[in-house]
Amino acid sequence: MSVPSDALASGQGAAGAPAAGAVVSRSAPVHVTGRARGPGSGRAGRLSQLGIVVTLSVIAFVGLFPFLFMLVTSFKTNEQYFTSFWRPAWPPHLANYVDAFTQIAPYFVTTVVVAAGSIVGALALCTVAAFVMARYQFPGRRLLFGAIALLLMVPGIASLIPSFLLMQQLDLLNTRLVLMIPHVVGGAVLGTLLMKTFVEQLPQEFFDAALVDGASGTRMFGSIVLPLSLPVVGTIALVTVIGVWNDFFWPLLTVSQNELRTISVGLEFFNGQNGTNYGPLFAGYVLASLPLLLLFTFLSKHFLAGLSGGLTGSK
Amino acid sequence: MTSTGTSALTPAAPRRARRRVPWLVYLALLPLVAVLGVFAYYPAASGIWLSFQDGVPAIGMEFVGLDNYRTMLDDALFWRSFRNLGVIFLFGITVGWLLPMLSAELLISLRSARLQFLFRTLLIAPMAFPGVVLVLLWAAMYQPNDGLINRFLESVGLGALQQNWLGDPDLALLALLFIGFPFVAGLPFLVFLTALQNIPVEIFEACALDGCGRIRRLFRIDLPLMASQIKLLIFLTTIGVLQYGFAAYLTTGGGPNGATEVPVLRMLAEAFQGSEWGYAAALSTVLFILALALSVVIFRVRKEDPGVRPI
Repeated sequence: MSVPSDALASGQGAAGAPAAGAVVSRSAPVHVTGRARGPGSGRAGRLSQLGIVVTLSVIAFVGLFPFLFMLVTSFKTNEQYFTSFWRPAWPPHLANYVDAFTQIAPYFVTTVVVAAGSIVGALALCTVAAFVMARYQFPGRRLLFGAIALLLMVPGIASLIPSFLLMQQLDLLNTRLVLMIPHVVGGAVLGTLLMKTFVEQLPQEFFDAALVDGASGTRMFGSIVLPLSLPVVGTIALVTVIGVWNDFFWPLLTVSQNELRTISVGLEFFNGQNGTNYGPLFAGYVLASLPLLLLFTFLSKHFLAGLSGGLTGSK
Repeated sequence: MTSTGTSALTPAAPRRARRRVPWLVYLALLPLVAVLGVFAYYPAASGIWLSFQDGVPAIGMEFVGLDNYRTMLDDALFWRSFRNLGVIFLFGITVGWLLPMLSAELLISLRSARLQFLFRTLLIAPMAFPGVVLVLLWAAMYQPNDGLINRFLESVGLGALQQNWLGDPDLALLALLFIGFPFVAGLPFLVFLTALQNIPVEIFEACALDGCGRIRRLFRIDLPLMASQIKLLIFLTTIGVLQYGFAAYLTTGGGPNGATEVPVLRMLAEAFQGSEWGYAAALSTVLFILALALSVVIFRVRKEDPGVRPI
């Protein structure tokens, strides 16, 4: 243990990053002096680091393998799929993508329209309500908040059957509106809770100053609350997009016209249409994955918050 | 997640009171209340009411009391579907959390911040793919004739192990549960990782000073400090498991022979194929009550020890 741990000195600077410091020796007696992190120094430490890298690489590879296989296969003809199952085949068969796109393009259009409509609807409902609930005192305020928070605990699938019957009575089946409604409701519930917390945390001085200047409640909402709450708006938008993209049972049951299918249900139908024609099939999967992948790449942090239903974002 | 923020701020609210008759406030809240009332509360209530009736809603319903619930208790497939949920839950919190936990531990042990970022991104990247794509890909991989898994077994000389993965009643549920292996791309991994990153370095240092090994640290320090996060995950897993059905619908449809039957699939089949709307509503009411009861239990437990949250 006499080997000086030079390798660690570099990590020392990043004392602020908690993750970088979470290194603990696996070799028995260690001299830890001062703030030095007990490291498995020298060769043993480097070896174990290598072991970690190898293990993590294997896990990451296994997790990503189906998607890699999908990507490689999406460029193959059916013949190539059987002759060179494991290896990429040359030349790439781009016609698969044309084939797949013509079939799933309508689902993209519907999904985008439904997501946009749901976001607008949810935001219209939740921003106003959250502002009022956060900044005004009125009888029934707590009751209302409790009634909204309670909805967060109700699993959506439990009201699937009665919701379907309601839509049937309202003659809304096979419309885009019916696809939006659950996401408007879900987005409004989550949005009200997130937004209320956010508005409550805004400094009271903003509102006092606005009052002195004679601003009305509407004015305060439009000029103070809305512009400041864009991050929350973004989270709600992302949650809704991911929700619409992955929603399955609701569009499956409420919509039977092909061009009204959203991407998840559309893909299942597309899957049935193409059977074991793996080239176009996997090309369709790739296309269906691309938009969310792009969001993930460019908005990684918010995306994760969105995936967990705003859970990590609200902490 | 919301309770702390609201209760803490309520005392400050009275000084914001400005209107004596807050009609405008109620007017502003009306749209939200109306939408939630019609599309959230009404279906929930009418679902419970429907569960006491029999017939087809468009034609005519008849009040039958608890008949639907009695049928349920005698329905072997109902018990089978809940037994499967138990298996799914147990699998989820054991096998399903093992690799995420291991990956999180390994990741924070990496010294290079760049490598940490790289692996974190690679490990969670599968989350960015739509769930349907993941399930359909696995279904293709499980294909008995030209599926990837059987092909692989054949090419490494283990052809004898080839199976009809999703078609064999003994294997189907397990095969279904392995969809998404190694399960690292998910909320548990992110929660474990955040929890571990939040443990102060000093604790690890003290632990190393006392000469405790890695395994011992896991059980004596890491896991106890993650207790509250694990509880939250158990809650989320419970709610998720009750709603399980999506992967089963796409791959096995509840078969073969009820091996992968789950309540959600039962409910849909009863309503849309069997036209037993009352019975379907009774099933969904049971799911609803279970979810509510379990939420209350878990949140009660969480409230009792608010001090365990690290930092």
